[in-house]
Amino acid sequence: MVKVAGAVSDASESSLTFSAHLAGLSLISFGGIPVILPELHQLIVVTHGWVSDAEFSDFFALSQIVPGPNFVFMLSLIGWKVGGAFGAIGAALGVTGPPCALTFFGFQLWHRFHDASWRLIVSRGIVPVTIGLIIASGWVLSRTANPSWRGLAITAAAAALMLRARWNPLWLLGAGGILGGFSLL
Amino acid sequence: MVLAAEQPDIDARVTLSALFAGFLKAALCGFGGALLPWARRVIVEERRWMSEAEFADTLSLCQFLPGVNFANLAVCVGSKFRGPLGAVAAFLGLTLTPLTIAVVIGAGYLQVAHFAVVQRVLGGISGAAAGLVIAAAFRMLTSQYRHPVALLFAALAFSGIVLTHLPLTLVVAGLAPLSIGASWLRWRAR
Repeated sequence: MVKVAGAVSDASESSLTFSAHLAGLSLISFGGIPVILPELHQLIVVTHGWVSDAEFSDFFALSQIVPGPNFVFMLSLIGWKVGGAFGAIGAALGVTGPPCALTFFGFQLWHRFHDASWRLIVSRGIVPVTIGLIIASGWVLSRTANPSWRGLAITAAAAALMLRARWNPLWLLGAGGILGGFSLL
Repeated sequence: MVLAAEQPDIDARVTLSALFAGFLKAALCGFGGALLPWARRVIVEERRWMSEAEFADTLSLCQFLPGVNFANLAVCVGSKFRGPLGAVAAFLGLTLTPLTIAVVIGAGYLQVAHFAVVQRVLGGISGAAAGLVIAAAFRMLTSQYRHPVALLFAALAFSGIVLTHLPLTLVVAGLAPLSIGASWLRWRAR
């Protein structure tokens, strides 16, 4: 990106604005970042026009196939467009910082009451619901990657092999990639 | 750190660099947001930082709290062994990969990703990754929560998202109190 002196300060100002908005939104994202996706779209595309509608959905699709936590990638990439490396780092810290601070203290409380009976009752209640939601997210991920029955077959085969055999899961990902590349999916 | 001081044996084994490396590995292998199988593999199977039950329990807390679930998980695992510094080390290990790709490769990655072959390969990887997520969740379920009531609530949560397409927050707000209530009844009936 080529910048003139005035644009540099504009970019860092926008980066700070972006980061501050993310910090605020991150704290209401109970259940994860997908929950605030509509608000993010409003902030980034509609209000500030930092990226276009097409870019927003491209970045989202791309974030589904990049290693690591996908929303850290997606928002860093938007931050990069807003204000270069400074914007990217600011976005990553903005969206993760406040919830991580909250988690740090929440985890200590959770740990302190480890043996309390209410704590065990709550966790025995919540964990099965969480696991059901994770399986549902796997289902949604599979439908997004490939909505045909072949896509579902690959997902089912990978799940079954993972449960039966103790192979390194990277082999399964590699096999999925090869099948996809040859359009056998 | 109070938590770390209570567990001197484990504390000595888990260094800051081990926390960093463990989460770096989970992030590098976890394509497409499919971090769960790798986080579980590293934390429970390879390094034995947590038992299966403790992992499921901590992950639930992290999903319940706002933010990026696995960043929250890194903070929990890191602070369990090494306090605030451990939390930072694990967090950096987790976020380094996506941040580096975004900063260094930036728009170049976008152009490559538009080739049809690349998209098909990545689609295949994502499909398999989805299977790994489901398998990891099944392992957590069958190893700790085989009780019919627990299975029922897992099935209801799954159906709530997949069949009825209700928003996540609504499914959680509806099912969590019922599930905790059922758990309380089981506790009382012991």
